[in-house]
Amino acid sequence: MRKLQTKLLAIRLGPGAVVLPKEVKRIHLRFAPKINGGHMGSRKFWRHELVRLKYHNPAVSMTVDRDIEQTDPATMSVHFAPENADQTSGSATASSAPSQQTERVETINMKNYTNSEILDALVQLTKAYPVEPTPEEQEELAKLEEQRRKSEKDSKLSQEVRARVKREKELLEQARGDVASQAA
Amino acid sequence: MAASRYCPSCLSAVSRSIPQTRINPIQTPSFLLPFHQIRTAVQSANAAKYKRKGKDAPASQRKKKSRTSYYTADLKNALQFSLIDAMRYLKAAEVGRPPTSAKYELHIKLKTPKNGAVVRNRLRLPHPVKTDLRICVICPSDSKQAQAAREAGAALVGEEEVFDQVKEGKIEFDRCICHQDSLPKLAKSDVARILGPRGLMPSAKTGTVVKDVAGSVKDMVGASEYRERAGVVRLGIGQLGFTPEEMHKNIRTAIDSIKKDIAGVADRTPKDIHEVVLSSTNGPGFSLSGEIRGPNSPPSKDLAVKDELVA
Repeated sequence: MRKLQTKLLAIRLGPGAVVLPKEVKRIHLRFAPKINGGHMGSRKFWRHELVRLKYHNPAVSMTVDRDIEQTDPATMSVHFAPENADQTSGSATASSAPSQQTERVETINMKNYTNSEILDALVQLTKAYPVEPTPEEQEELAKLEEQRRKSEKDSKLSQEVRARVKREKELLEQARGDVASQAA
Repeated sequence: MAASRYCPSCLSAVSRSIPQTRINPIQTPSFLLPFHQIRTAVQSANAAKYKRKGKDAPASQRKKKSRTSYYTADLKNALQFSLIDAMRYLKAAEVGRPPTSAKYELHIKLKTPKNGAVVRNRLRLPHPVKTDLRICVICPSDSKQAQAAREAGAALVGEEEVFDQVKEGKIEFDRCICHQDSLPKLAKSDVARILGPRGLMPSAKTGTVVKDVAGSVKDMVGASEYRERAGVVRLGIGQLGFTPEEMHKNIRTAIDSIKKDIAGVADRTPKDIHEVVLSSTNGPGFSLSGEIRGPNSPPSKDLAVKDELVA
């Protein structure tokens, strides 16, 4: 249960645990399969932040396309619902994915940025608000942290015991070998 | 006289008293005391664990009795999830994965003895997981059945040509059916050594030696097979784009079918469903509580969002 709880809390809380506003309909990431050429941050964003983002925004479709060249730009396109099409800001550019005319699409350049910088850009663009851990969750986090520390200590202790037992066994083995060789 | 100011007897008394105070064993420096206390406090509660208790007992007595049934964990303190909650976590864990590769899986832990009959069957889910199953049919390639099987969706039909391909190591199918009349030829052809370990060898036991080849091909397309291994039945249960309602129907069907199988072998080996776990290709496993939605579940249409690439 502890392992599962740690995993679940990691899906629920941490960087990327933000609630996007209702008008965000889809997030699409495009980056290369390998990290060279500035594609590392985008992959890390997918592996860490996007998971939490998806948990808190299950209705937002999130897709990853890694079928591009290493030299191509890494981009994130955020699709907004059509009713907000009139308030496009100046930074808006056409995304790589063809979209309906009424849908507003903003792109974020992810090339050479780290995952936290990408998240900041997304939060700034969509005006998402973060999810704070509830008191119960904080308590659970503290408990798991405490257990982790304790288990670290105990494992050290256990290691010592096992090392000692092993040494004793080896010594015994050696002594037996000596006796056998003398007898022979 | 200066000397008269110091009384020699007094001086000697003072000089005698100084060593006395130094020697005094009761006056230990106070800063040492808490150290001793801390050191005793540092002893972990687990320290008792490292005292090897069973050391004096002879090895024969210490040996654990082997169990005759598979271990089943106590679910009293286990975290259990409603279907929607589990699906929400799994969809998050699978985010950005190619939608064709990631699937929901169902693991059904049985309360069962280690020996005896195992649950094993095939079922058609209301919403099939996989529709691109490649089926091989072994029957004379120019016969009527071959024609019918091809029409039903078999990928490979034939006798010798199939055996030759298999012997070359070209196994381009996921299921293999054999016509009853071709069984002697199959047995003679010596492909069992190759097909057997992969679980592809047709046999009457698994229901893959049939008369009506076309009918079973039709059944197989969109059907999934399951069997019990080490007390657990595992099977793919859905695509990631399925809605909670579709998943619910699929899970219900699978469990009903397994219950029926359990009833079928009940007279030989008593079995019982102990736990149902929903997992996915890359995600953690969630023990299902049997409810569809929990108190904080999002609306089910939120989870029906398909994360598919739109070119």
